[in-house]
Amino acid sequence: MAMIIRMITGTTTITTIPMAEADDLALLRLVQWLSPAFPTGAFAYSHGLEQAIASGDVRDEEGFAAWLADILDYGAGWNDAVLLACGLRGEPLDALADLARALAGSAERLRETTEQGSAFGRALAEMTGRKAAASEPLPVALARSGRELGLPVERIIAVFLHSFASNLVSAGVRFIPLGQSAGQRVLAEQHLRIAGIAARAASAGRGDLASSAFRAEMQAMAHETLDVRIFKT
Amino acid sequence: MFDAPSQLPGQISMQRSHGEAAVAFAQAEAGARLTGLRQRGSAKALLPRVRGVPEVVFLNTSGGLTSGDTLSYAIDIEGGARVVATTQAAERAYRAEAGPADVRVAHRVGPGGWLDWLPQETILFDRANLRRQTRIDLAPDAGCLLLEAVVLGRAAMGEQVETLQFSDIREVYRAQKPVFIEPLMLNSDILQRRGNPALLSGARAFATLALIAPGAEDALEPARRALGEAGVEGAASAFDGKLVLRLLAADGWPLRRQILKLMDVLRRGAPPPRVWQL
Repeated sequence: MAMIIRMITGTTTITTIPMAEADDLALLRLVQWLSPAFPTGAFAYSHGLEQAIASGDVRDEEGFAAWLADILDYGAGWNDAVLLACGLRGEPLDALADLARALAGSAERLRETTEQGSAFGRALAEMTGRKAAASEPLPVALARSGRELGLPVERIIAVFLHSFASNLVSAGVRFIPLGQSAGQRVLAEQHLRIAGIAARAASAGRGDLASSAFRAEMQAMAHETLDVRIFKT
Repeated sequence: MFDAPSQLPGQISMQRSHGEAAVAFAQAEAGARLTGLRQRGSAKALLPRVRGVPEVVFLNTSGGLTSGDTLSYAIDIEGGARVVATTQAAERAYRAEAGPADVRVAHRVGPGGWLDWLPQETILFDRANLRRQTRIDLAPDAGCLLLEAVVLGRAAMGEQVETLQFSDIREVYRAQKPVFIEPLMLNSDILQRRGNPALLSGARAFATLALIAPGAEDALEPARRALGEAGVEGAASAFDGKLVLRLLAADGWPLRRQILKLMDVLRRGAPPPRVWQL
């Protein structure tokens, strides 16, 4: 059985733990980073959903499921997954951060990804005592730490996308509004899609970035001038 | 003029068209001065006599794009010159069953320079396969206005695009760093969902305008006020040295009217290129 040897500095103890357990521990770390309780302030960002609801584009479970599917397949879902994959595979993170910023389609898209990325980096720094990296878009910040996990790229992407979708489901349930079970149904319906995106993105490069959710980008712009806004984006 | 035929096994061999046109300007006392002009194959660069800011009009004499065709346009601006560039007519991407048509647009704007890149719309026909990359490289204090408009078939002819592969990457770099990247992509799967509110909401014409320059954000309010053309949904956002607008319309004509209004605001009343006024 493959073993991992972990040295505990400052003592003469050497502990070996089985590879499978190391993977479980890495997965727990990842799940912690991407859980709603992790202080990135994700709940404050609706990714333009608030605008879509206000304009009547999303008004029920079916409409919300279609909207979320499009965002995942053709919008930030796919593109953030590709950026995350590039970062996890070792591409230079500063250049990736520049690319991610240049890809942001509007002021709120940029704000949403950089504020969450900064908060993510700060939260990790405070937990570990390490210095926070300079502010960077969320997928890049996640790649920076995610590299250390030793988990398959596809798995990290899938958990990231699920956390993104889950946050939007919470927003949808509260503001469309939807019943809790309806919201969970919508989320569960995205599992296959998320798994597919993660699998394809894991081996994708910047040449595979594709912006096709054209009107979603417009909704993010329109949100800036929405009269009554609860969400920052 | 036309290249050696290319063919798949068992297919009728089709002639391909290839074209390259490149123009260079530098600043002289009297204004911008042409310093280079190169034309090959089906591509031409026309230089109409205009007063003030020089105009370049690119033209693809092959009449459209299909499988295996290649086309490239390039402008190089030195010495702080200002140039306006456009295309003679809408680019047409026709049915392409044997691979993509490939278009490269590569402009370079040196220190203090300015480029208005205002090509007319691209009309995609059913079964088109087009790969286009537009890249503008800016010096740190240079600026540009970039426009790309796309129409899916012609409404008046009742054309519906069902099968499509369209990759249209719009990129602006400043001092080698990316500042604006829009890797637009449309395919048959997306067109099946064309009615979706997050995708095209049923629109068959859409456009992006990007003003990229120090102070571009100041144009946000005037740009927003210029929106609202009948039949066109539009939105604008200003951030990071950019003003970006996106437009959606049921048809190419209202889209064009809205674009002209925005061009007027973003170019401070400068008249549109002559070919736009037809």
